[in-house]
Amino acid sequence: MLEYLSANSGTILVAAVLVLILICIVVKLRKDKKKGGCCGGCAGCPSQGACQAYRPESKEK
Amino acid sequence: MNIKVALAGNPNSGKTTLFNALTGSNQFVGNWPGVTVEKKEGKVKKNPDITVVDLPGIYSLSPYTLEEVVARKYLVEEKPDAILNLVDGTNLERNLYLTTQLTELGIPVVIAINMMDVVRKSGDKIDIEKLSIHMGCPIVEISALKETGLDEAVEQVKRVAAKGRKIPQHNFSGEVEHALAHIEEAVVHELPDEEQRWYAVKLFERDGRVIEKLSLNSDIISHIEKDIIHVEEEYDDDSESIIINERYNYIARCLADCYKKKNKNGLTPSDKIDRVLTNRFLALPIFAVVIFFIYYISVSTVGTWMTDFMNDGVFGEGFTLFGKDFLGIPVIIEQLLVRLNCAPWLRSLILDGIVGGVGSVLGFVPQIFVLFFFLAFLEGCGYMSRIAFVLDKLFRKFGLSGKSFIPMLVGTGCSVPGIMASRTIESDRDRKMAVITTSFIPCSAKIPVIGLIAGALFGKAAWVAPSAYFIGITAVMVSGLMLKKTAAFSGAEAPFVMELPPYHLPPMRNVLRSMWERGWSFVKKAGTVILLSMVILWFLQSFGFENGRLVMTEDINKSVLSFIGNLFAWMFRPLGFGNWQSVVATLTGLIAKENVVSTFGVLLGNSEVSEAGNEIWQAMRGIFTPVSGYSFLVFNLLCAPCVAAMGAIRREMNSLKWSAFAIIYQCVFAYAVSLMVYQFGSLFTGNADIIGVIAAAAVLGYMLFLLVRPAKTKK
Repeated sequence: MLEYLSANSGTILVAAVLVLILICIVVKLRKDKKKGGCCGGCAGCPSQGACQAYRPESKEK
Repeated sequence: MNIKVALAGNPNSGKTTLFNALTGSNQFVGNWPGVTVEKKEGKVKKNPDITVVDLPGIYSLSPYTLEEVVARKYLVEEKPDAILNLVDGTNLERNLYLTTQLTELGIPVVIAINMMDVVRKSGDKIDIEKLSIHMGCPIVEISALKETGLDEAVEQVKRVAAKGRKIPQHNFSGEVEHALAHIEEAVVHELPDEEQRWYAVKLFERDGRVIEKLSLNSDIISHIEKDIIHVEEEYDDDSESIIINERYNYIARCLADCYKKKNKNGLTPSDKIDRVLTNRFLALPIFAVVIFFIYYISVSTVGTWMTDFMNDGVFGEGFTLFGKDFLGIPVIIEQLLVRLNCAPWLRSLILDGIVGGVGSVLGFVPQIFVLFFFLAFLEGCGYMSRIAFVLDKLFRKFGLSGKSFIPMLVGTGCSVPGIMASRTIESDRDRKMAVITTSFIPCSAKIPVIGLIAGALFGKAAWVAPSAYFIGITAVMVSGLMLKKTAAFSGAEAPFVMELPPYHLPPMRNVLRSMWERGWSFVKKAGTVILLSMVILWFLQSFGFENGRLVMTEDINKSVLSFIGNLFAWMFRPLGFGNWQSVVATLTGLIAKENVVSTFGVLLGNSEVSEAGNEIWQAMRGIFTPVSGYSFLVFNLLCAPCVAAMGAIRREMNSLKWSAFAIIYQCVFAYAVSLMVYQFGSLFTGNADIIGVIAAAAVLGYMLFLLVRPAKTKK
């Protein structure tokens, strides 16, 4: 077992980092979706208000 | 003491510029009306106890548009401590119309006259002191753009907020004042003194929301109605128009005393420029030339030089900068993976899948930045508003409102906010039409697709990129005309009133900020959605079924991806791209349009180090002819947008049926246009298939019928 781990340590390390990155991406995408944003860059978006803050009002209607 | 101050003013008077200057925020600024559609809050940099609320631009407090509803709701219900009313000094009369309404609210108002530098330059004179006496509130001169006079404005706000609420002072003519006094006495005398006038005026105007809010019974309504009818008979006009006239009369009296216009009938520099740019014969050709120039520079020249450098150098073998050699990112990563003794499958996943896929998209970043730079400049200088004005006339003929251009303009960055921006269109029918057609305009994610096809199949021909933009606009107009003939969309177009802002040289920081914000969101997307998609794509292309078992396969044609692609490939054969790679690219494009390019990066990459960019051009020529490539481009431009945009369509339509209709319509329309492009295009290349040409001719005939048939009307 140890022999396998040491022989494949590079692969395991890189794969673990990659999996971590992918998990972070999924978490971020989920967060963005919950926030109601689109593909990012909301700070400069002229419709950010329409995108998010209007949500309760549109529900009222 | 904490102070809440509302920033109110006409559209395009510079509120967001002032808001950014006061708070140090980074909100989007555009030289066209309607940039802000929702209020935004921020604290004043030098006075953190003052909160500034940036309201959408409004012409009045009558709740006709969404912006006016938002602004009025905030001012009346949340009652800020003060209002900083931004007034465009170059257009005093119209701007003061709103001021007369704001001062009626009883909330202390400070008027900030913006663009005074332009006023002085034109030789006009405003007697600030006299105007201040007439309007009953302090006035300061500022330049939001040059950030002058801001401290004084903030000091005045603090001063008036400390004094507290104020009873409005301006007067209308005798009969109107008599009726208002009667309404105040009969209905609103129990309200605070400073609020009574606003409610009385609104009741005089028969404002439904105010009547509802005050829960007036029918006896009281009929009582005050007698007064209103009496004034209406006296003036031979409706009550709302009477108040509008009274306000303008009051403003005219004030300005006669304190405003001297140097050249009453002379043309401003903007008027002179508009004589050419909005000329009925020249406007459209000039617009076409401008768009051609922008796309030519972005996609075919400056942008391409930088993109080539990115693809061949940064995401290729390497590059030389200032006489020093640097290795490309794939080479560095490969060396690192070899040094770490990584397994071949992991090397392939990272190099062929992630670096190859994401790199092929990132290679287009320079083109995107150059394009956004020019678009931001056009927006900032005021030309884009003219385009809306010019296209309004054209759009109207095709059943669309000129206001539809605003969502399309926003949609050049990303379709999602573009679709969202359709909320500002009041007419439900026009709004639905805008939601359906906005994504036809190429968003930034489609630029790499255009660049790939132009580069790989047309030798970077300058006409390919602008043609994509014009195909988008034509698709919008043709769709407008066809849909307008249906019962659901028939009827007169809503009027479109838009103020044309004066031309000015936009501040470079605003242009660069806009370019950066939009470009950076493209990069962020490549690092998230695209990267994730490429990992999934790599697994699907690396695994396949052999002898009934799912195993890793060397032969990509036996992969799961190939199986999925081949399932749908037959559908696209009439369009000229019935190979599984193109189908997979189209399908992954539904996740994010950039995926089209990254998918080719992965599928057509040569598993050496440099898969991105020009390396796949040769392979592209193996699966596409120029005609089929252009057909592929047209299909991907017009078909259903990415999932995020489809979600936006779903939210805006607020109906599953209409959302499904929008997406199905886009796909069918894209299919029909691509079919015609490929089949008719093949006639010129000598590869025509007679059945295909007949089918394309039938589709063309049917579309022409839909365009010219009489409109159906709702029963």
